[in-house]
Amino acid sequence: MQSKHLIRRVLAGVLSCLLLHGPATSVAANPNAYEAASSGYFRDQDTLPGAYIQYRGSSEGGGAWWGIGPGSGSVKRSSFSADAHLGVAGYGIRSCVSCHQAQRYSLHSSRGNVTCIQCHRGQPIAGIHHYYSALNPIRKHAYVCAKCHEGASPSFATYVIHEPSPLSLATAQEFSLFYYAVWLMVILAGGVFAIFIPYVSLWALRELIGLLSGRKYSHD
Amino acid sequence: MTDNVKRFTPTQMLFHFGLIITFMLLSVTGLAWMYIETAWGQVLASLFGGYAGALEVHRITGLILLAGFGIHVLYTIWSIDWKQFPDSLMSRDSMVFQWRDVKDFFLHLGWILGLSKGPEFDRWSWWEKFDYWAVWWGLIIVGVTGLMLYDPVLTSDYMPGWLLNVALWVHRIEAVLAMAHIFTIHFFIEHFRPRCFPFSATMFEGSKAIDHLRQEHPAWIARLETEGRLDRLRVPPAPVPLRILYFGVGYALIGLGLFLLIFGLANVMLLTLQL
Ligand code: HEC
Ligand code: HEC
Ligand code: HEC
Repeated sequence: MQSKHLIRRVLAGVLSCLLLHGPATSVAANPNAYEAASSGYFRDQDTLPGAYIQYRGSSEGGGAWWGIGPGSGSVKRSSFSADAHLGVAGYGIRSCVSCHQAQRYSLHSSRGNVTCIQCHRGQPIAGIHHYYSALNPIRKHAYVCAKCHEGASPSFATYVIHEPSPLSLATAQEFSLFYYAVWLMVILAGGVFAIFIPYVSLWALRELIGLLSGRKYSHD
Repeated sequence: MTDNVKRFTPTQMLFHFGLIITFMLLSVTGLAWMYIETAWGQVLASLFGGYAGALEVHRITGLILLAGFGIHVLYTIWSIDWKQFPDSLMSRDSMVFQWRDVKDFFLHLGWILGLSKGPEFDRWSWWEKFDYWAVWWGLIIVGVTGLMLYDPVLTSDYMPGWLLNVALWVHRIEAVLAMAHIFTIHFFIEHFRPRCFPFSATMFEGSKAIDHLRQEHPAWIARLETEGRLDRLRVPPAPVPLRILYFGVGYALIGLGLFLLIFGLANVMLLTLQL
C-alpha cells in the first residue's frame, strides 16, 4: 500500500506540472495567509476558488469550461419527482433496461458488473434532479460514487455514467468536447488507414510484378 | 560482397526492443480490459490472474513505457549534432521530415502506379520517418490520457471529472489505431512485402545485407562510398544460430500481433461500446 501512496504523490506532482498550477490555495492572492490556508480538515483543492461550482444544483458542471462539458441537454419534468415511476404502467413487472434502452450499456454495468440499483438506490427510485435524490449532483459523489471510489469528490462525480454516443449529432449539443474530441480521433485514425491500406496493397502488387519480371532494383 | 552494413546502434535496438515488449504487454492487457465482456477478453485477462491483475499490469507497464519515452526524449536531444546545429537537423542522416521526403513520397507513388522511376532513398525513407514520429505523437496522446485515467479520483481533483469520459475514448481510439497500424501496415512494410518477406532482422541485428540496402537505400550507400565511410560500417552478418533466434523471437511477436488483430476484429461485434 505504501507504494500506492508514493505513486499517488508522484502523479500529483506530474499532474500539477502539467496544469502549471498545483492544488495550492491562492495564498498569494489573499492578503491574510491564515484565512486562505486549509485547516487540514478539507483537502486543499476543496477550498480552491470556484470549487463551489460543482455543488450548484444541476449537473451543468461545464459552466466554468465555456459550456464544452456535459449537461447542456434538456431535463424532463419527471427528473424532479421523488418517485420517477409514479404512474408508469408496467413498472415492477419489466426489467429496468427493457424501458431504459439508452442506459442499458455503460462501463459500469457491462464491465464493472454494477447493477442499476447500486447507484439509483432503493425504491422508490427518485428522479436524478429530485432534491433528496442520492444522485442529485449536490451529494451523488458522497452518497453513490464514494461507496466504491474512495475519496470521490463532486468533480469526480461529474463523470458521465451513461455516456451519450460520442459520434451522434445530438452529442454536439449535450457534451460538445466529447463529440469533437472523439470525431477528431476517428478522422485521424480513419485518415491513416484510408491512405495506407490502398497504398500498401498497390505497393505489394508492384513489387511482386517487379520480382516476377526479374528486375534487380526494386525501384526501376 | 555479402557483408552487412551497420544501420542501428545497440542503444537504438534496445529502445526498439523495449518498445516492443511494453507495447505488446499493453496491447494484451488493454484488449483484455476492453473485451472483458467477451470470452476472448476473459482468456486474455486470465493470463494476468484475472481482470484486476490485467489492469494492474497495464498501469505499471504504461508507466514503464512513459519512463522509457522520457529517456528516449533525452537521448534524442543528446544525439543531435549541436555543433552543426540547425543544419544537422536537415542532414541526410536526420529523422526530421524534409522537403525531399515529400518528393520521395510522390515519386514512390508514381513508381507504384508505373508512372515514373522510383525515388533513390537516402538513409531513411519517408515511411521509416513516419513510423518513427507516429510513436511520438501516439505516445503523447495515450500517455497524457493514460496518466489521467491512472487514478481517476485523483485526476478529478485537478480538472472536471467529465474530462475522464473524453480521455477514455481518446485513449481507446489512439490505442486501437496504434495496434492496427503496427499489426498490419508496419508488419507488412518491414516483413511481408515481397522484397522483405519473410522476415527482416535489421532491428535485432543492427545491420542489413548490403545488396538489399543498395536496392532500398541506394543514395545512402552511394553517399557512404563517395565519402569513403562504407568500409568502416561494414560488419559480418550475424552467425546462423543468432539469426534463428531473431527469426523465432520476431515471429513469436508478429504472431501475437496477428492473433490480437484477428480475434479483436472477430469479437468486435460482441462489444457493447457504442460509438
Ligand atoms: C415500465 C418501464 C420502466 C421500467 C421497468 C423502469 N423504468 Fe425507470 N423510468 C421509466 C419512465 C417512463 C421514466 C420517466 C422519465 C423518462 O421518460 O425517461 C423513468 C424514469 C427513471 C429515472 C429518472 C430519470 C431522470 O431523468 O431523472 C430513473 C433514475 C430510472 N427511471 C431508473 C430505473 C431503474 C433503475 C429501473 C429498474 C429498477 C427502472 N427505471 C425501471 C420507465 C421505466
Ligand atoms: C455507477 C452508477 C450508475 C449505474 C450502475 C447506473 N446509473 Fe443510471 N445514472 C447514474 C447517474 C450518475 C446519472 C445522472 C446522469 C449521468 O451521469 O449519466 C444516471 C442517470 C440515469 C437516468 C436518467 C437519464 C440519463 O441518462 O441521464 C436513467 C433513466 C438511468 N440512469 C437508468 C439506469 C439504469 C436502467 C441502469 C441499469 C442498467 C443504471 N441507470 C445504472 C448512475 C448510474
Ligand atoms: C458499486 C460500485 C460502484 C459505484 C457505486 C460507482 N462505481 Fe465507478 N467504477 C466501478 C468499477 C467496478 C469500475 C471499474 C470498471 C472498469 O474499468 O472495468 C469503475 C470505474 C469508474 C471510472 C473509471 C473508468 C476507467 O476507465 O478507469 C470512473 C471515472 C467511475 N467509475 C466513475 C464513477 C462515478 C462518477 C460514480 C458515481 C456516480 C461511480 N463511478 C460509482 C464501481 C462503481
